[in-house]
Amino acid sequence: MRVDPEPTLMRADCTLNTVGIGCFVRQDEDMPTPYERPVPPTEARAAERRAARPTLTRPAEGKVIAGVAIGLAHHLGWQVRWIRLGLVLISIPTGAGLVAYIFLWALTPQSRGGVVGRGRRAVDPADAAAVAAAGTPVTEQVTGTSERDATRVLLVGGLLLGIGLVVVAQKAGLNARLGILIPLLVVAAGAVLAWSQLDDSQRGRWLGSEAGTKRFSVARLAFGGVLALAGLVIMATRGRSFAAIWDIGAAVLAVLAGIALISAPWVLRFWSDLRHEQAELARATERADIAAHLHDSVLQTLALIQRKAGDAGAVTQLARAQERELRSWLYAGPSDSDASLATAVVEAAHEVEDLHGTPIEVVSTGDRPLDDGGQALVRAVRESLLNAVRHGAPPVSLYLEVGPAGVEAFVRDHGPGFEVGEIPEDRLGVRQSILGRMERHGGTAKVRRLEQGTEVSLGLPPVLRPPQPDPHPENPQPVSKETREHA
Amino acid sequence: MNTPEKKPVEVVLVDDHRMFRSGVRAELGTTVSIVGEAPDVDTAIAVIRQTKPPVVLLDVHLPGGNGNGGIDVLHGCKGLETADGQPVRFLALSVSDAAEDVIAVIRAGARGYVTKTISANDLTRAIQRVADGDAVFSPRLAGFVLDAFGAAAGEVAQVDEELDRLSAREREVMRLIARGYQYKEVAKELFISVKTVETHVSSVLRKLQLSSRHELTAWAMGRRLL
Repeated sequence: MRVDPEPTLMRADCTLNTVGIGCFVRQDEDMPTPYERPVPPTEARAAERRAARPTLTRPAEGKVIAGVAIGLAHHLGWQVRWIRLGLVLISIPTGAGLVAYIFLWALTPQSRGGVVGRGRRAVDPADAAAVAAAGTPVTEQVTGTSERDATRVLLVGGLLLGIGLVVVAQKAGLNARLGILIPLLVVAAGAVLAWSQLDDSQRGRWLGSEAGTKRFSVARLAFGGVLALAGLVIMATRGRSFAAIWDIGAAVLAVLAGIALISAPWVLRFWSDLRHEQAELARATERADIAAHLHDSVLQTLALIQRKAGDAGAVTQLARAQERELRSWLYAGPSDSDASLATAVVEAAHEVEDLHGTPIEVVSTGDRPLDDGGQALVRAVRESLLNAVRHGAPPVSLYLEVGPAGVEAFVRDHGPGFEVGEIPEDRLGVRQSILGRMERHGGTAKVRRLEQGTEVSLGLPPVLRPPQPDPHPENPQPVSKETREHA
Repeated sequence: MNTPEKKPVEVVLVDDHRMFRSGVRAELGTTVSIVGEAPDVDTAIAVIRQTKPPVVLLDVHLPGGNGNGGIDVLHGCKGLETADGQPVRFLALSVSDAAEDVIAVIRAGARGYVTKTISANDLTRAIQRVADGDAVFSPRLAGFVLDAFGAAAGEVAQVDEELDRLSAREREVMRLIARGYQYKEVAKELFISVKTVETHVSSVLRKLQLSSRHELTAWAMGRRLL
């Protein structure tokens, strides 16, 4: 078996743990980036054609009201400001632009990711000014909050502008028939407020667990509803006495109550059916996920085990690796510490286990971010483990303790043991990769011979100390003589 | 701690996997005799109440009962004693290394915890130790204890009786067990007798069971790894 520790570390890290440290280290310079790929002319044309008409979607970012204008701009390849100007212009005489906008809003799906970057760039100066006016610094990253602020500012501004226009029109002698216009506007505002709850980007917050935002959403919905209702009532009672409102209100309420009473059972059943269906769907999806995962992992491994039934070592190794994988899938939540010392050490141990098939009992307490010294420790631990599984005897155990007093790691095997003094000068495994490496990083390393077996103890000082520059940076070839010997 | 002159330890084996039960039965040598088996919580309680064995090998995950598996069995057999007046002791056996399972079953009264991948020899030794009234700590359990009591972070009890922290000596013992040392190796390392090591381990177990340290449960819940 060819053993080539350092490159394998990288590779294994990339496959075992897609966000492992190895992946960051392994950045091949000669790797072609997707952008530099020479595109054949036909393909390029095809791509251009495809790119010329992106699907009509509403981006979540950079929008003023619902992102319709930006979506249209992307779709048609025009500048977003012209679209907006056009929409406003055709809205003024007949309201056609407004109707078109609402139509598109209702019918265009919201995009997820993808065009976000472009959408952000498409934010026109007016938006930026609005954001600035809202008291938020204009940054490259337009955050959700500043966007909401901008929307609010624009809404208020638009309302004031509308009132101004109406006043001017009145002065100029145009009869705008305020009696209808104002209730209509109120209804529209209420509807927009209430409907905006149905927007995809809001739904998350609407259903979100954060009590604050939920309360805000409910308040908005209620306010919108009341506003729309008030508008309708004003419209319905226009020109009549105040007492008539009560009659109409009572009649409307009676009708509504009657409808509610009659339809309640159906609505309730429909609702519970819907809930039931949703739960079923969620369960089915979950089951499908589990089935897919088991198929990809456990079933494949079982098939492999059946084929290698004669090879006890291989079977054990497969079973261990599979067990570990399944365990991490079952018990580990989404890992939040990609570059933590404990994770890296555990990864290294698993990898040695995979290489040699010797089980390693790993126990770790505490954790800290992975720094330079930590990297050195991980490599030294790995080298110690390799030594232990090669020259020692199982059980091999690894204990890592990260505390305020520093980091300590112990690698212990139950083999015949050896003394550092007895190691020939030309064997660099222990001397260079373990002892030397730890010293270079301000740590300590000791090899102890026990009654049964050997224990390597590694130590690092607490992290408060500023990291010392490494005079001998980790060369990519600490492949020791000793390693080759066993290759 | 094999004491050959002793008569075989009587053990009830509780596990819902028949294959595993027959495997253990085949593996365990002459120092252990299996007097009963049970595949679920209710059968287990009935069998244990009837046979009153000195040691019960208890799987953490079991069907039946209130849905808490091994913990239900532990609660159902509370205060039970063998014919010669010793309490019935439990050794938890699990395929799960999840901290919340381990800590929960220990706090419910188990005298130790081992994984199902343990070798037959080690299992025999662990059963013997539990029968003698000692605690069985695997390196992993020791690691959990160090973490849960904040001992790894340097918290050490000023008084030995303090329930929420480990004493300096207990911390040392736990650290050595976590490093893969056997009890007698721990004893040699610390220049104390094996009996003293056992005392320390039992005292840690007691703290683990009695401590009201609220972080303990929270910690076990939060740490769903390993």
